[in-house]
Amino acid sequence: MTDLATIEAFLYREASFLDRPDLDSWIELYTDDAYYWIPATEDQVDPINHVSHIYDDRVMMEIRRRNFIHPRAASKDSPTRCSHLIGNIRVIEESTEGTLIIESNQHVVVWYQDEQRLYAFTAQHALSPDNGSFKIKSKRVDLINPEAAQKSLVIYL
Amino acid sequence: MQQIPDRNFDALVTPTKLHRSLYTDPEIFELEMSRIWGQAWIFIGHESQVPKAGDYFTTHINHQIPVVMIRGKDDVVRVLHNRCGHKGAKVVEKRSGNVRGALRCAYHGWSYRFDGSLLKVPNEQGYTDTGFDAADPCYSMQPLAQVASYRGFVFATLSNTIVDLVSWMGGAIACFDNLCDRAPEGEVEVAGGVLRYEHDCNWKFILENLNDTMHPMVVHESLVKAAESYIATLPPEAAEQRREAEIIPPFGASYENFENSGITGFDYGHHYDGGKTSIHADYSVDPDYHAAMVSAYGETRTRDIYAFNTHNVLYYPSLTIKCAVQNIRVIRPISVDRFVVESWSFRLKGAPDSMLERTVLYSRLINSAMGMVGPDDLEVYRRAQKGLQSPANEWVEFHRQYGKDQVFADRIEGGGTSDLDMRTQYRAWKGYMEQSQQRGANND
Repeated sequence: MTDLATIEAFLYREASFLDRPDLDSWIELYTDDAYYWIPATEDQVDPINHVSHIYDDRVMMEIRRRNFIHPRAASKDSPTRCSHLIGNIRVIEESTEGTLIIESNQHVVVWYQDEQRLYAFTAQHALSPDNGSFKIKSKRVDLINPEAAQKSLVIYL
Repeated sequence: MQQIPDRNFDALVTPTKLHRSLYTDPEIFELEMSRIWGQAWIFIGHESQVPKAGDYFTTHINHQIPVVMIRGKDDVVRVLHNRCGHKGAKVVEKRSGNVRGALRCAYHGWSYRFDGSLLKVPNEQGYTDTGFDAADPCYSMQPLAQVASYRGFVFATLSNTIVDLVSWMGGAIACFDNLCDRAPEGEVEVAGGVLRYEHDCNWKFILENLNDTMHPMVVHESLVKAAESYIATLPPEAAEQRREAEIIPPFGASYENFENSGITGFDYGHHYDGGKTSIHADYSVDPDYHAAMVSAYGETRTRDIYAFNTHNVLYYPSLTIKCAVQNIRVIRPISVDRFVVESWSFRLKGAPDSMLERTVLYSRLINSAMGMVGPDDLEVYRRAQKGLQSPANEWVEFHRQYGKDQVFADRIEGGGTSDLDMRTQYRAWKGYMEQSQQRGANND
């Protein structure tokens, strides 16, 4: 059994990169075949034939990372800062090879476009062991209000 | 209708300039809601959203008025005012669903047939000899003044006098035909869910942006460069498989490319850019899809359907469609500086799943408020809304290629980088805003 404190420390580390945000360091936590997903509906099973707010593979994550710091990306002129609060961490599944499915509840306050906004969601991480820590194979962000009209968001949650 | 002082619209809308109050004045917004949104045909939904009797979908026809689209036991799709005939409560609260038997108000239990007629009032004997007449339509869930559909797309209007839907669409109807004809079975259906996103600005900004081809190479430059520079590092075989590689770069197309796409305008403010070509024209064609199209239409007709390649089509003021992508965006104003857009995707009946996959990819990549293109558009509209608070210049200009439009009997054509789209929609804006005053005078 993987120690819960190790899992916690890893989730906090990911969150600290997003809080700043430091996408260059953040993306290195992900495997080359990773996916990052924010579904657009409750219990969404299909990211391909059903629309999502975000469904990025590593290539799209790389493009987004480059776009985020581009001097002519108007939507990125505004400072973007976040504060992740992570709780209710639970191990959903652990394979004999040490692959983990982790769920956590996250409240993220985002400062963007002169507004402070609150996002609340269940995060599901699929983690694979990597040199005493982990790499993220996939992250799914189930907002409590995926069907609501969303405002612009230029950062990963 | 509420009493609002008449305005001199000639002083607000000239052939090349708009007064900034069109974007900032709450009174003008209220006038627009009654005179444009209260008269034009407004897109409600698609018949495929309500396939069975009792299936419903709720929305607003303007910033406030709640309506419900519901399929009756007679298979007719109706649009009803979503208001109980008794004390006015909204009868159907959920966004969509199915109701069995009858619609029932949650307040006092009045119930209605799917055609809106009053079915039952609880403890009805209390109304005996009171003058209450249950057959009076005012106690029903009343249908909207006119409801019509074209190839499954349902529109309704609060006006008894606007021309019929087909006449209203005019030559822009060809785009609905093109969207549906891109299905081997000639029909489309809603699929793949909906994205909703909010804008901190006046509702007209998105309409003006649709066929503003002077903005993509500026607003979306960062994305195009980020995408191209990263995709260039991929092995060629991997890059070729990326649909993003054919969707994103055309947003950085040259002024010349956009100029050549042309803009075509119609009465009532409708317009599209493209036709002969567009930023969607170079998308690859799935061989299985092509085979299904050829078997349905033959080679020549199939080529003709592909060849009519528009970018954005606007059915002013509530709906914009992308025929080549099978995506639509529905506009719903909220207040003078706020509106919501819904992005819906469609399945081409008889086409392989890859076509829906591309539509869904486009919607999340380009339209989503968490996407790659949407946030930059939203940001520049937001800045325009802020900047127009300045009295330094009372006007927003749109002179591009003024005086060079080619006027035909049923349409106006011009260069793709012209402001023909602005001229088209603000001619309609003024017409709607003034028409109401004239009708008011005729009613006296």
